Formats: sequence, structure tokens, C-alpha cells
Amino acid sequence: MSAVTGDMAAAPPRANRALRQLLAAFNTNKTSWVGLATFAVVVAIAILAPVLATHDPIEQNILEKLKGPSAEFILGTDGFGRDIWSRLVYGARLSLWIGGVSILIAMVVGSLIGMVAGYFGGRLDIAIMQVMDVLLSFPSLILGLMVVAMMGPSVGNLIFAIALTAIPPFARIARAPTVSVKERDYIEACRALGYSHPRIMAVHILPNIFPEILVMGSLWLATAIRVEASLSFIGLGVRPPTPTWGGMIREGFENILDTWWLSMAPSVAILVVVFALNMIGDGLRDFVDPKLKGERGG
Amino acid sequence: MLQYLIKRLLYAVPTLLAVLTVVFFVARVLPGDPAQVMLGEQAGAEAIQALRVRLGLDRPLVEQYVDFMQGALSGDWGTSLVTGRSVLGEVLNVIPFTIELTLASILLGALIGVPLGAWSALHRNSLVDYATRIGSLFGLSFPAFVMAIMLLLAFAIQLDWFPVISSGGGGSVSERLLHLALPAVNLGIIMAAYITRVTRSSMLEVLGEDYVRTARAKGVPHRAVVWQHCLRNALIPVVTVVGLYLGILIGNSVLTEIVFNRPGLGKLIVGALTQRDYTMLQGLMVVYTFIIVVVNLLTDLTYGFIDPRVKYQ
Amino acid sequence: MTMRTLTTALLAGAALLAAAPLGEAKAQGQKTVLNYGMASKDMGRLDPHLTATTPDKALLQMIFNGLVRFKPGSLSLEQMEPDLAEKWTRSADGKEWVFMLRKGVQCHRGYGELTSDDVVYSLKRASDTKTSSFASDYKDIDKVEAPDKYTVKITLKSAIPSLLLFVANLHGGNIVCKKAAVEAGENFKVKPIGTGPFMFEEYKPQQSVTLVANKQYFRGAPKLERIVYRYIESDASRDLAFASGELDLVYGRQDETWVERTKKVKDAVVAVIEPAELSSIYLNTKHEILKDIRVRKAIAHAIDRKAMVQLKGASTAREARSIVPIGYLGQADDVPLLPFDLEKSKALLKEAGHPNGFTLKIIHTNLSGMLPTMQAWQAMLKKVGINLEIDVVEHATFHAQIRKDLSPIVHYAAARPPVADIYLTQFFHSRSQVNTPTAVTNFTHCNQADAEIDAARSEPDPAKAKALWRTAQIKLMENVCAVPSHEQLQTFAYKSNLVFGYDLKGSLSLGPPILETTHFK
Repeated sequence: MSAVTGDMAAAPPRANRALRQLLAAFNTNKTSWVGLATFAVVVAIAILAPVLATHDPIEQNILEKLKGPSAEFILGTDGFGRDIWSRLVYGARLSLWIGGVSILIAMVVGSLIGMVAGYFGGRLDIAIMQVMDVLLSFPSLILGLMVVAMMGPSVGNLIFAIALTAIPPFARIARAPTVSVKERDYIEACRALGYSHPRIMAVHILPNIFPEILVMGSLWLATAIRVEASLSFIGLGVRPPTPTWGGMIREGFENILDTWWLSMAPSVAILVVVFALNMIGDGLRDFVDPKLKGERGG
Repeated sequence: MLQYLIKRLLYAVPTLLAVLTVVFFVARVLPGDPAQVMLGEQAGAEAIQALRVRLGLDRPLVEQYVDFMQGALSGDWGTSLVTGRSVLGEVLNVIPFTIELTLASILLGALIGVPLGAWSALHRNSLVDYATRIGSLFGLSFPAFVMAIMLLLAFAIQLDWFPVISSGGGGSVSERLLHLALPAVNLGIIMAAYITRVTRSSMLEVLGEDYVRTARAKGVPHRAVVWQHCLRNALIPVVTVVGLYLGILIGNSVLTEIVFNRPGLGKLIVGALTQRDYTMLQGLMVVYTFIIVVVNLLTDLTYGFIDPRVKYQ
Repeated sequence: MTMRTLTTALLAGAALLAAAPLGEAKAQGQKTVLNYGMASKDMGRLDPHLTATTPDKALLQMIFNGLVRFKPGSLSLEQMEPDLAEKWTRSADGKEWVFMLRKGVQCHRGYGELTSDDVVYSLKRASDTKTSSFASDYKDIDKVEAPDKYTVKITLKSAIPSLLLFVANLHGGNIVCKKAAVEAGENFKVKPIGTGPFMFEEYKPQQSVTLVANKQYFRGAPKLERIVYRYIESDASRDLAFASGELDLVYGRQDETWVERTKKVKDAVVAVIEPAELSSIYLNTKHEILKDIRVRKAIAHAIDRKAMVQLKGASTAREARSIVPIGYLGQADDVPLLPFDLEKSKALLKEAGHPNGFTLKIIHTNLSGMLPTMQAWQAMLKKVGINLEIDVVEHATFHAQIRKDLSPIVHYAAARPPVADIYLTQFFHSRSQVNTPTAVTNFTHCNQADAEIDAARSEPDPAKAKALWRTAQIKLMENVCAVPSHEQLQTFAYKSNLVFGYDLKGSLSLGPPILETTHFK
């Protein structure tokens, strides 16, 4: 296996080859295409929000408040008589941005930290994991409130707060397999050959932990959008009246027995995005980890 | 091994001190005043100031910090600013509920998640696999409180099997279980979803490893390959995830606690923060951090049981 | 295979559990236990002189008495009735009040007969900043004495016609039993001892407080055996528990959707009661843009009170008429309330040099009862070009920051004891300006009516006092210090077999009083 990735890293027309492998992986895993298509549709919806929205997402029309789904309001209206469908499509923009960016930051920073800690071990490992433990010791709500209190509410700070809550889990997820992989013979061999640490980590360890990170990442995106909702409980949310999925779920929470569709629409939207990302994730995993190709189990 | 344990626990001391210091100062830097919260929205500045003096909040920050650290180190966590009750007492009151709920949901999650994930991996791309994957995604991405309300509507209102107020019940075991059931299922579904996903992916990983192929080639029976080689190795990430979530579950089960009306640590922490109950918040963070440290330690020890190649230094 | 066995096991377990008895809530026969669901995380402090939160107040009114009380179910000051005092007299100059106590009133748990000694102790306790949050209510009291065992004499520094309000069964007026309070000291808040129809029995953290009947209650033994007062934070689960019969009386949400849905619940009665909370927009008259009265008028003209009532629902909300809530003693109807008029608003803004409007950064709480109101105003002001950027912060932060003048526009929704004096003093007297040592909640920095407010407070002639309060309201409203928007009533639901024993119209402690007469049919 180390030979395969080693070759890959050394081959000159690397990009082309990677693309071909990706296509192959996606073709083995037909659902990946479905996921990619779905995600593309969601992104398109977010981009085309002004075209797709049937109403102004922030225009209040109190006479039409809390109406159920109808021909005029496809998904009904909220407590201010705002059209939920229009808020949903506009909300996609900010929710995808906030969730995506914060998880990307957490993935990159977290796995880097975890890998370094696991790889070098010893005091560095302990020190790094101590800091992670301190971070992890704060429930996300508390950490979020602390961030906003110090820095004030804004989208950037929201992203920072969510990323901060997600870094320690990624670090731990990345560290565990690193500890186990680095004991293996081929890593010892690499060291003996005088490969640099960054190279060993990038070429031999990263591919081993990448699938886990990827799986985690696609799962945590949903969490990130939900954290956004729970942070809006404590005032870290996006400024009203701008719609976000998390904020919409929170608004619906108050009225869940009266008007269930308020929470349901954004919940389903999150579900669709997570589905899509996971299907893509499965294809990516095969690409990163080609040995799985054709494995059918049993 | 014992040495390792002692070492790890010693390393936890700076973590605890760091958390405490951060909590102490951040809580006080936050806008909002416990005296204001206690006296309510119509209190005058004079009454608020009088209460601040009575609570000792007017003293220099450093002096308060030294006092607090001395108290904390000697085991005196003081009394809640807001209710005047002992912090330790409050924590001990709710902690059984938290432990009960956490263990029940983890158990439920593992019982459903591990077999389902392994099965799904062994029958990759079969109908069952797809169903499992879709089901687990549903469990993951659906907001827990929406699910909680649905559970209540179905099992407490329609079927009337369980009470809406699952506040823990009285003395009898059956009553306790009755009150535990719905909240545990609520969190357990999320846990199961995570565990299923991670088990499946790490199982697939292991199935592709050389030693599994070798074992197969050698003609080791399928069942033995799966149980002895694969599942065992696949469990490492699973244990990490469980360990990770154990801590997160305790701190973030607030919404579940609120909807099902259960006492719990999560509710206490958020309550202490929103009321600016500094002493309570500090005490709770000590407990919470300690739990996280212990859970992490247990997680790391479990690696050794599963995978003997992992060494403790 | 594994899955199937697991499912079978789980189902078997569930069935087993379902067969178990469901406990008290489902017990049959004559019901003597009241299950009360309150919207709160937990108990605060059960010391009447310390706590001002709704969930605690509703409980305290079952445990304590005042010298006088509001007629149960009413909050009219004209209908005050004897409670611990049988009768009272007032000297001609209005400075000396003598209260004759009822004889034979017993404190809970064998703490003996309540005498003038207890009353003196209790009132002193209520006026001491070390033991009371309401000390400032009693600053006009010169001395409290006990000439004999059943007489209490209160001497005032200046005549305060509304003194009865401060010896009634609310806040500092609740009478505590001396021996118990001295004995418990700091712990009184977890061991409250009073003379009311119910006695404190047990507290379960984050769950409930249990009260039991005080068989020796001076108005007769209560018909209910016990009250389980449950803290249930989530609106949805409180409603579900009410629907399932686990609760008999629940705190509701102040909106029409809740009222309409709850009315349909089996055997449910919905009560919409006084006092109303008045939602007003307080404008900082010292702010660089808002100091121009034309801008303040423009804001007032942009607020559509009718639409606000539609937003909240006509069954729980009504349009505000003044800066003092409707029905308070001294509230005047003939005050200059600016009508909703977008054209006029735009014209005023243009005149003030803001033809394209302006942007204001304001702070608001994330409290779910208050945020929608501000969002509705935001949309209304947007129509005349005033753009509100709302920084949504958590409730404790909100209260801290608005008291530091950080928000030029403040939304406050409040009910107070029903006298214009308290509302006007707290919100519009210069003494109450925020950012000063004597601050209360004057966010407007207005001082135009100080003289009238002070004069009315010690005016012995009720008609003259009303005239002064009217002038004060007119002056403040001509200056557009605040824009009154709408009032919201309190909502409760109870099972139709619950009989309170009085006509429920309102309750100052914001919860229906549970008395000795309360029972189940």
C-alpha cells in the first residue's frame, strides 16, 4: 500500500491521474454521483435564491402569519407572515457558508494538530492534547458565549466559535490512528530511509487517517449547522432578519406544537445536505483509499 | 501501567487549573451581573450595588481569584451566588441523573451501532447497507429536540406508555427506567447513528488490510476473520468516538434535559452561565473537566485492550 | 440476526415498562393534589424579601400573608382587604398608620402565634438593604413600632397615600415569622416559614417544590392536600404534560396561537388575566440623532399599534393608550398618542435632515417573548427608511448593556404594582436615569415631569394626585420620550375540574392565587 501512494506522489502528471482515479472511484460508487448532483442543486439553489424565492424573505405580512403550506406559500409562513420557502432558499447561502467554512477550518487545523501530536508523541503530544482537553472541557454553548462576549456578534466570529468547538474532536480523531499507524513497519522503514517528518506524515500517515477525517467532516457539517442554531439561543446568531437554517429551526422550536412546519422545513434541508455530502464522502474515501475498490465484503 | 495512570492524572492538574482560571476571568469579563439577575429587571442601581457588596463582588478581581483558588484547592467550592445553596450539594444532586442518562444512551448507541455498522460493512452496497446508511444520516442530522417532541407525541401522548415529565421517578427501579426510557432513546438514536457510521467505515478499512487478506487466503473461516481480526481492529476509532461523545453528551444534553424535564449537569451549566452564577459555574466546570479527563484516560486505556500494539509510556 | 434479537428484547422491555403503574398523576377518586407547571428552570430563592422573579412570587403567595391583601383574583387598589390585619386607621395628616392584627394566627411548623413583634421585625427586614431587595420601597417609613401584642404603628416621614401597597401580600409586604427567620438566617430562602394556606415541604433541584396544606390556616384548612409546583422550562413539554393530564394548571405563552390550541385540549380552560405588560420603545433623548424631537415623532408615527396587536393576537394583546399601562391608578386616556402615519413620519424625517433615513445600531435580548416584538418594529421602521441593526445578545448581557446607555432604542415590557407613580418614577424620573448611582430604568433621560411625579406621590387628595399624573403623562408624551406600543396579558390553562374559589381576573404575583378554597370538583 505504501508503494501505491508512493508512486502516486512521485508521478509527474499527478493531477490528471488523480482526476481519473476520482472518476473511477465515483463510478464504482454510483451514489457519489447522486450526492454530487444533489449538493450541486443545493448550491445552485443558494446562488439562484433571488430567482427561486417567491417572496421577499424579510418582508413581514402579519395578516398572513403562521399559514400552512398553500399555493401561494409553498411551505407556509412564519410568525411574521414571511414566506418560509423564500427564507429557506436565502438561508441556504449563509448556512452553507457558515457550516462549510467553519468545518473546513476545524478539519484542517484539527487533523494537523492531532497528527503532529500522535506522530511525535512524548511531551509534545501530551502538551497539545492538554490544550485540546481544555478546549473540549467547555461545552460548545459555553465556548460560543465566551467568544461572542469577547469579540461581539458577527458572522466571522460565529464561524470562529463553531470551528473552535469542532477542532478538538478532529484532533482526537486524527491522533488515534496516527498513534497506531506510526508503529507499523513501513513507517519505521521510511524513517530509516531518511524521509523527512512532514513527508512521512503527508504521504504515509495522512492517507491512513484521511478517510476517518472525511467521514467526521461530513458528519460534523450537520453538527455545525445545529451549533449555529443553539448559539443563536445565546445571542451569537446572525443579525435578524437575515435567515439561516439554524435560526429558522430555533424560531420554530417555540411553536413546534402549533406550527410544526417551521422547524421541519429547515430540518429537512439540513438532512438533504448531509445526505449529499455523505454520498460524496463515500466516493472520496474510495479515491483516497484505493485498496477498498471492488471490496464487496462477505 | 500504574505509573502511566499516575502520570496521566498528574498531567490533568494543569488542565484543571487552566480551565478554572479561564472560567473565572471570562465569566467576570462577560457583560451581565449576577446581582442584577438576582434582583430582577426592576431593581435599582442602589439595591444592586448593595447586593454586590454583600456577595463580595466589589472586591478586586485578583483578590477574589486568590480566594477562589485557595477554596477550590482545599475542596471548598462555596455556595451558589444565586440560590445560596452549596455548589457541591447541587452537583451531587443532579449527577446521578446525568450518569444514568449518559450511560443508557451510550449503551443503546453501542448495542445498535456496532452490530449494524459491522453488518452494513460486510454487506457493502447491499440494500441493508443503504438502509443503514440512510437511517444513520437521518439520526445524525435531524435536530434532537424535534425528535424529542416527536417521541413525546408518539409514546407519551398517543400510546401513553411513558410520562411527559421524565423527571427521574421515585425509588423503584421500574419507575426510574420508565422515566429514563424516552430521553435515553432520544440521545441513543444520535449515538447509534454516529457509532454505526464510524464502525462501518473503519470496518471497511480493516477488511482491506493485508493481514485480513492473508488470513482469508490462508483459509481462516469467515466468521473468525470477521470477529477476531476485523471487528477488534475496527473498534479503535469507535472507542474514540464513544469517548469523545461521552463528554460532549454530558455537556450538551441540555435540550434533551429541558424537553424531557430531567435534572442534569447540562441544564445546571447553562443555567449558571445565563444567571452569571460565578461560583456555580466554576464548580461545575471543575466537575465537568474532571469527567472529560477521566473519559479521555479511559478511552486511551481501551486502545490497549483492543490493540496490543499500542504502548503506554 | 443480531438486530432481530435486539429489537425483540427492546420491544419486550418497552412492553414491560408500559405495564408498570404510572404513579400519582393518574390516580383516581377525589383529587387533592394540584400539579402546577411553571415556566422556569429551577427555584430561585423562597425569601419574599429577596426574590422578584415570577416563578418564585407565584409560590410565595401561597406561603405568606401581608397585613392587607389584594382581593383574590383582582389587582384593584380600591379593593384591598384585611389579611393579617383586621382593620387599620390613618391619622389626619396621613403620616401615622395603625394596624390591628388578627388574633390567633399561627406560624407554620409550630413557630407560634404571629404577633406585632413579628410584623415589626418583618417590615424592618424588608427595609434593610442587607436583607431585602425592596428596601427602597420603604425609604419613606420613619419607624415601625409595636405598642402591644396585636397593634402595629407605622410612622411615615411624609404622607404616602399608597402605603397599603407596601404592606400587602407582595414583595416586602409579605410578613415572615421572626423566630424562624432569625433561626434560619441565610437559610430562610430554602426554609420559608409564613402563615399562608400552604407550607413548604420539599424541594427537588431542577424538578419541583412540594407544598402541603396548613391545617391551622386562619381562614380554615385548605381543601387541597398538597401542591406539586413543577419547574418545566420548555413550552412544548409543559403543554404536552398538561394534555396528558400530568399537570392541572400551567403557565402559558402570551400569544393567540397558544390560546386557540390550548382551548381545544380536553377539559381545558384558558385564563387570560391582568396585569398586562406594556411594551414600549424607550428613546434616548440625549442620543445624537434621537435628540431631535422630529426624529422621535417620526419613529412614533411609524409604529402601527393595530398591526402589533394582530401579530400577538387580539385575545392576549391590546393597543397601548399611554406610557402607563391601562387600568393603573392614575393612567390617563386623553394623552397625545401619535397616530400611525407613514407619510407624516417620512415628512418629519426629511425636515430633520434625514431624507433617506438613517441607520441605528441597537441591542436586544434573545428572549423568545421579546425578540419578535423588536423584529416587527424593525420592519415597520424600515418602511420610513430607519434601518435598525439589531445586536441580539443573551438576556443578562442585554440588561447590563442597556443600563450603560449602549442602546439608543430600548424595548422594555413590564408590569408593575398598579399605580402610575411606580411606572412613571422608574421609567421617567431623572433620579432613575441609567448610568447614575440611583439608576432604575429611565433609558430616555427625560426629566420633564419630575415635579409632578414627586408631588403626586405624597398628595393626599386622590383626585389631585390623578390630575398630577395626567399632566406628567402629557408632558412626557409631548416630548416623545417613549412610544407605547401594545400590552400583553398573562395566560394560564387549567383543567375544568379545578375550582379556584374566587373570580380570576388578575394576579399581581402573575400566577393564579391558590387559596384554602381552591379544590377539584
